[in-house]
Amino acid sequence: MNEMSIESYLAQGGVLTSPGNVPPRYRAELMRLMATFVDSELAGAAGFADIINEGPGITERIAASRIVLEKLDHAERVLKIMGEFGANTDRYANHHPWTARLERDAEVGATRSEHDMRLSVFNYPLQGWADAVAMNLLMGKAVSIQLVEFSLVSYQPLAEAFRAIAPGETRHAELAEEGLSKLAAEDGAKESLQASVNYWWPRVADSFGGDKSARAETLAAFGLRRSSNTALRARWEAEADSALGRVGLARP
Amino acid sequence: MARFHELTVKEVRKTIRDAVVVTLEPTNGAAEDFDFTQGQYLTFRRDFDGEELRRSYSICAGKDDGILQVGIKRVDGGAFSTWANEDLKPGDTLEAMPPMGGFYTPLDPGAARQYLGFAGGSGITPVLSILKTTLEREPLSTFTLVYANKAVNSIMFREELEDLKNTYMGRFNVVHILESDAQEIDLFTGLVTEEKCAELFKGWIDIEHVDTAFICGPEPMMLGIAAALRSAGMDDSQIKFELFASAQPGRLKRKAESKGASATGNQASAAITLDGSTQTVTMGKDVTILDAALDNAMDAPFACKAGVCSTCRCRVLEGEVDMVANHALEDYEVEKGYVLSCQSFPVTDRVVVDFDQ
Repeated sequence: MNEMSIESYLAQGGVLTSPGNVPPRYRAELMRLMATFVDSELAGAAGFADIINEGPGITERIAASRIVLEKLDHAERVLKIMGEFGANTDRYANHHPWTARLERDAEVGATRSEHDMRLSVFNYPLQGWADAVAMNLLMGKAVSIQLVEFSLVSYQPLAEAFRAIAPGETRHAELAEEGLSKLAAEDGAKESLQASVNYWWPRVADSFGGDKSARAETLAAFGLRRSSNTALRARWEAEADSALGRVGLARP
Repeated sequence: MARFHELTVKEVRKTIRDAVVVTLEPTNGAAEDFDFTQGQYLTFRRDFDGEELRRSYSICAGKDDGILQVGIKRVDGGAFSTWANEDLKPGDTLEAMPPMGGFYTPLDPGAARQYLGFAGGSGITPVLSILKTTLEREPLSTFTLVYANKAVNSIMFREELEDLKNTYMGRFNVVHILESDAQEIDLFTGLVTEEKCAELFKGWIDIEHVDTAFICGPEPMMLGIAAALRSAGMDDSQIKFELFASAQPGRLKRKAESKGASATGNQASAAITLDGSTQTVTMGKDVTILDAALDNAMDAPFACKAGVCSTCRCRVLEGEVDMVANHALEDYEVEKGYVLSCQSFPVTDRVVVDFDQ
């Protein structure tokens, strides 16, 4: 009864609970998944922090500050789990300039930068308050969908962290929708907002990865993935589309 | 990074033939570091023939017992558990990291919850800590334990559980399932499988009103129980798992001896194993092992590329590499031949590395 390999245990939906019982390749994929999340939150928070002062009123600046604060908090929670696997958490927080961005028209597709694992979308610079709000709505929806998936990962401490993080990230998308709805109601604002949506839509869509992912099978066997990139992206398109509809904008 | 502290062994008590309960006392002012949460474990380290072994054992004491205690069951061929069962004695010193693990839920003195625990063999240790603490600190809650063992004589903490039933009359219930000993009720004989759980949920356990379930035992048992709980309508956030110590990696082989230093040139041949397949590549000695793998279309793992996160860890089996920065691996890992591939350049003309170990 006790003879079962970790691999077959995982393939059958088993859950792992501490660094002591994860196999090496699982460890590597888990670390990569966590690094992607942490780097994206750190880069996202760093980019958005610069925008706080551009908020048109105190309420907006409070909302933006809260988003920055919570993204850093979420990064810290997941980084703590990386630390249990040996990552140097103090150094990690500072090993990379998280505010660094590429040019607005750089074409990086879904590829990562050389030295961090942030999702490619976080390599593009924000252009002012309205542009940041539009990006936050689209990306907030994407993160919420990813977190539903992540809350089911087979490493229990991480699944629990993501379950605790999910409501906050969902709220960020709601704040963005409130903000965008307010902006869209202003005279003559729709055109530039729609331009921002057109700019961010394909870049956020890219963050779900390609339709054919070589790693998908490995990740599925490890219990680190359930849905395909394609399925997740389709879910996002539907949700982002209806959110845009509610504020009087449209997908490109 | 967590640090090891010294603990003095106060008592070593046999519970069954091949398991001991060890009472420990932190020394050198480390008491605060060992203020555990019910259900957590301690990771010990000890040198065996020059090789450091690390093993984790769950705390079996409740929060209100006022002591720190772990249960160690002897595993066949397990160096640490055999040593603990045969040679460990009061007055000895053990080294352990502060308590770790998330196998618990927050307690609320005002809550009236129903808990269900499943333990297989020595998987009882963290569950015992949880149930003792819960019964003491949540006076309105109830706890049902389903406890699987081979036979009556292999039940750890049998008497202690009986005492708890008397102390918390009506709030604590134990169902013993024995693999080989016949019992009055047929249902209580055999393995705890998905089907067995489904049967238990019909009459013996009020599954609809269970708030949280804890499972600690061997892999097949955890899968079966989890499947039964999900079919009964519980979701994953209500089910807490703790994987048994048996799943810990076995004893590691010693690092192969280095096969002579560099003879010529700036080229090296590297045999790189990833996901079960090996590629031999020719690489410059100014290229890291990680980049050599990536350049040859191998999907090697990495994240920070700064020697910080340890995602790219691999093991050198043959030859020698120079790891220029290391902010993540500990000395004992390095001694075993682990390196951060993003920071490691070949020194010898031939190196053999493995990402699967």
